[in-house]
Order: sequence, then C-alpha cells, then structure tokens
Amino acid sequence: MSRIIDRGLEEQAALLAKMGELTFETLETSIYGYLEGRNVKTQVREMSDVLVAMADKVEDQTFELIARFQPVASDLRTIKSYMKIGNDFARYGRYALDITSIAEQLGGLTQCEAWIQQYLSLMSQKVLFMVKVSVDSLRRHDVTLAKTITAPEREVDRMYLEFLNKLISDASASSKCVASGLLVTRYFERIADHAVYVCESIIYVVTGEKANLG
Amino acid sequence: MTETQQKPIQPDPQAKMQSINLDVWFGQKQVLKSINLSVKPNTVTAIIGPSGCGKSTFIRTLNRMHELVPNAKLNGQVLLDGEDIYAKNVDPVMIRRRVGMVFQKPNPFPTMSIYDNVAAGLKLTGAKKGEDLDDIVKKSLIQASLWEEVKDDLKKPGTSISGGQQQRLCIARAVALRPEVILMDEPCSALDPIATAKIEKLVIELKQNYTVIIVTHNMQQASRVSDFTAFMYLGDLVEYGRTKDIFESPKSKLTEQYITGEFS
Ligand SMILES: Nc1ncnc2c1ncn2[C@@H]1O[C@H](COP(=O)(O)OP(=O)(O)OP(=O)(O)O)[C@@H](O)[C@H]1O
Ligand SMILES: [Mg+2]
Repeated sequence: MSRIIDRGLEEQAALLAKMGELTFETLETSIYGYLEGRNVKTQVREMSDVLVAMADKVEDQTFELIARFQPVASDLRTIKSYMKIGNDFARYGRYALDITSIAEQLGGLTQCEAWIQQYLSLMSQKVLFMVKVSVDSLRRHDVTLAKTITAPEREVDRMYLEFLNKLISDASASSKCVASGLLVTRYFERIADHAVYVCESIIYVVTGEKANLG
Repeated sequence: MTETQQKPIQPDPQAKMQSINLDVWFGQKQVLKSINLSVKPNTVTAIIGPSGCGKSTFIRTLNRMHELVPNAKLNGQVLLDGEDIYAKNVDPVMIRRRVGMVFQKPNPFPTMSIYDNVAAGLKLTGAKKGEDLDDIVKKSLIQASLWEEVKDDLKKPGTSISGGQQQRLCIARAVALRPEVILMDEPCSALDPIATAKIEKLVIELKQNYTVIIVTHNMQQASRVSDFTAFMYLGDLVEYGRTKDIFESPKSKLTEQYITGEFS
C-alpha cells in the first residue's frame, strides 16, 4: 500500500530531478560562454535565480513533510538529504554565475595563452562530467554510480594544484589571464566538491551509511 | 470574541459550508462561542482541540443533528452553498442527506447484511428513479476502499467483519446517499494503526468527490490528512488556516502550546 507521505516524497524527487537538469544546463551555458568568449551573464543569472527559487521550494516542502508526517528512518534520511541536495544544486548555479562575472570583468579566455585555454577546457569537461554523475545518481538513486565520483574528484583536485604551480612558474602569462584562470579553476574545484556532496547524500538516502567520497 | 461580533461576517461565496457567529448552549452553559469558519469544497478540514472544547458539538450543528439534543439552543447561521440550513422552510432530513456523518465507533446495523447496510439509507430515503441499487452499493463500497475485501461476502452480517472494515462500511453507507459533505467524528479512535492508515488514505481520496470535515484527537492524523485545520479551545475557535501553516508556524501561542504538547 502506498502511503500518504509518498506523494510528497515523489513531488520532491520530481522537483529535484528538474533542478538537476537545469543545473547542468546552467553550468554548460556558463562554462562554454567563458571558454568561447561569449557574454551569457543575463541568461545564466536568470537560470541561477530559478535554481535558488527551486531550492527554496524544496526546503519549504521539507518543512511541511516534517511537520505533517513526522518521518522516520529512510523517510527522514530522504527528506533531509533532498533539502541538502537542493542547496548543492543552487550552489552549482551560483558558481555558474560567478564564472560569467569573471568573464565579464577580465575578458574572455580567447585572448589567453593556448596552454591556459587547453587546461581550462580539459578541467571543465571533467567538472561537467562530475555534475552529470551527481545528477544521474540522484535521479536513479544509484549508489554504484555515486561511488564513481571519487576518481574524477581527485583528478580535478590534482589539476587545480598543477595549474596553480604552472601559473606561478610561467611568468609570461598576462595578469588578467592569471587572475581569470585562478578564480575559475577555484570555482571548478568547488563545483566538484558539491558533486561529491550530492553523491554522498544519495548513498546516505539509500543505505543510511555516511560515506566519505572526497 | 467581541471584535468579530462588531464587524459583520459576510457569506463567503467560495465556501461549501460556513458558520457565522455560531453560538451553542446546553441549558445555561455556552459551549460554542461565536464560531466563524468557512470550509472550501473538495478539501479536508480537521478540527482539533482538547476534550470538551466543543468539536463534536460543532460538527453536529453542521447537519442539524445537534437540535436532536434536548435542552440545546443555537444562535447564528450555518450556510450550505450559501443557504442557511436553519432557515424555516428547510427540511432537516434533506440536510442530513446532503451532509452525512460517520461516527467514532463503527456502528453497522447488526441485523443487516453488508449489502443491506450500504443500501439501508437509500431504501429509507428512496433511491432515485432508474437507479440500480446493486450498482450504487458496489460503487459505494469501491469508494470506501472495501469492495475488494467483501465482494464475495455481501450477504454476511455487517458485524462479521473487522472493526476497521466496519468503519469503512459505515463510510460506504454514508457515501451511498451521495452527500456533498461528510462529517467524521474521531473515525479512527477505535482502530489499530493499520486500519487507521487505511481510513486516513480513504479520507484523502474522498475529497475528490466530497467535502470532508473530520474531528480528531490525534494531531498527527490532522496534520497528515487535512488541508485546513481548526484549533478549538473552551468553545472558541482559536486558530484556523492551512494545515501546513498551523503545524509549521501557528499564530496563536495557545495553538503552539497545544500542538507541541506543552499544554498544562
Ligand atoms: N448533551 C449535552 N448536555 C449538556 N452538555 C453537553 C452535552 N453534550 C456536550 N456537552 C458539553 O459541551 C461541551 C462540549 O462537548 P463536545 O462533546 O462538543 O466536546 P468535544 O470537543 O467533542 O470533546 P471530546 O474530545 O471529549 O469528544 C462539553 O463541556 C460537554 O460537557
Ligand atoms: Mg467529541
């Protein structure tokens, strides 16, 4: 027999699935805009605002479900985790917006040295992949997939540090490109962390185990 | 509640039922004090409050069952689709048909079969022309989520099934008359948690076709099944609003104390 609370849980899951899609689209728009030197700030701001509003709605629903149904065990874990994931998704949106601000203030990446462009392009692929893994694990409640997030996360961390070292040693890079690359790789690294948090939440929902995937 | 009395309450065109400045006395004792409450169609409204606050009295005024109590006096109005059910030309039997009631203890007629229990009200008040009794009985049992469990035992006595099933049988009996509003006075208080969960689910399903008003002692039940909640205390309607708001951020300190269990 399905329970009264199930309808609320399904509604939340559907809302988060939508957020997941929008989150990926927002980051894609922002990152390609940055790499290809297009100004996408207005568009990304709108998308990010929608994500924040959706996260607020998830939080509202969470409170209602707690107040009305006194959830326990897996229900309680699900509700708590959904709220957390909603906030992680909203953070993705904010970082996407931050990246467009960098593009606006410091100019596009197209005037920078080729190796910087290559580096950022490669790192962005890894980050988008991680976001996709986090969104898909959530949609399918897939623990096995969630656990695969560790390897790309380590890779992004490693690339971030490697990039820092290269910037320090390469005196020829223009200061604008240094600032831009530094900030954006830092955001990439943060986005990757949130992808890990989402995957950890999925494992917690499904198994009750507090995994550490970072 | 003198403030609300000073400002005349208008009929709410969106309400299925509405009480306006409703006072009730038993002898000298006033047990409902100027209750103003407006219930939207196809919603579930829960009435909560400590024992003796007037919950049962209130819902009994909504289908004129209250006036069957000797010594009872009533002032104010109760509107059903905007019409005062206490107006002179209104037939109380018709009102009780439009506004059905399910009681605390399942009370199927002991000498009647399951089938006859559902059909009883219809036989009394007369089914409409061209209506097939078998069909209505079946539909009512389906609506009460009981059909699958009793379809092969329709000739067995109504009292031969479990308490939870008996309560759903009483709901089927109420539904058979195709009321517009269903009143329930603590319909689960004699049931175990599983039978209770079934009734709760049923209550939510019923609102597609009916307007449901349910009295319950169980706050969790109110929070689970209702769209709107009314909190009563000592004959006053203290707070009324969306269930989400009442249970998340009640406006009145008294409501807060009651629902958090801080009541002394
Ligand atoms: N027939 C009656 N004669 C006199 N007083 C009555 C009668 N019925 C109820 N009362 C009184 O009216 C007040 C409200 O009673 P009511 O039954 O409406 O309360 P309730 O909120 O339904 O309580 P409970 O939760 O215990 O069912 C109580 O003080 C009760 O003692
Ligand atoms: Mg009562």
